[in-house]
Amino acid sequence: MENKDKIKIDRALKLIAKLSIDKSSQVLSKMIKSGASIELEDVYMADISRVTEEVMLKADNEVVGAFIDLVGDAPFKFLFYVNTKDSLVLTDLMLRREIGLTKEFNLYAQSAVQELGNILASAISNIFSTDFQISMKPKPPTVINDFESIVFQEYVIDAACERNEILIIQSIFRIVKFDIHCSMFIMPLGKSEQILQYVTGFM
Amino acid sequence: MSKKIIVADDAPIIRLMLKDILTDAGYEVVKECENGRHAFESYKELRPDLVTMDIVMPEMDGIQALEQILKFDQNAKVVMVTAVDQREFLMKAIRLGATDYIVKPFENDRVISAVKKALGKE
Repeated sequence: MENKDKIKIDRALKLIAKLSIDKSSQVLSKMIKSGASIELEDVYMADISRVTEEVMLKADNEVVGAFIDLVGDAPFKFLFYVNTKDSLVLTDLMLRREIGLTKEFNLYAQSAVQELGNILASAISNIFSTDFQISMKPKPPTVINDFESIVFQEYVIDAACERNEILIIQSIFRIVKFDIHCSMFIMPLGKSEQILQYVTGFM
Repeated sequence: MSKKIIVADDAPIIRLMLKDILTDAGYEVVKECENGRHAFESYKELRPDLVTMDIVMPEMDGIQALEQILKFDQNAKVVMVTAVDQREFLMKAIRLGATDYIVKPFENDRVISAVKKALGKE
């Protein structure tokens, strides 16, 4: 791909990431009926081998996440995860009850992350559909609970095997007095690059 | 007698939230289903007054389950519940015969008003 095209695609991905985070922020506030925002810390295309090295350093960090296939005109893989202990706070917030009642990782904590991942992935597909007339739909999420390095190895590297780069969206969920750090990875596949070229026409 | 409802969603936390909302409003949740196939089988067995149906589910999605249920009972009341807020998908469900739809995340009042409206059409 020419460097000029690559720059255009990077810009398109960043625009989509920004719109998705804004939409996800609105959705999250509504979901937990509380002051919530998702702040975009950084969004960038990263070299897969460099990111792998960074993630491997966090080998003992246990996370829970949702891995989702976005299918349609622009196929993407989507991964969202939080630290397992933060999933307990998210569970209480989603069930609109006192923080601290969920004391251990259980079916509902797993499901809270599953549903949050589903809603975030849907927000992204809704942006594609409404803002760019690109039809997309999420498949049912796969829930993951493992060490961050293993999750990254199994889901990100495998999904990104046909490219050397990956789009990383780092964000923080600020909810009342809690700062919940989460990571979202969006992995464009095959023909989605052509679609992203098309998106640049809207910019 | 309270109206009987089946809640179909692959996320247990959403089933719990819907069950709490519906039970507090005086409805009886007679079954929770984790996919469309289970919802269809449960519908045939229990003949509820209404089904709340997620669209994106494993094994059989909510649109396929809606079609199966309406083939079995053309008067079935099915309210779709989905995070996919796209006109194309929602209109497809309505065209097929869904009574209404609710977009996630939902407010309690929106759930109750959709259920009341659907059951009021009897």
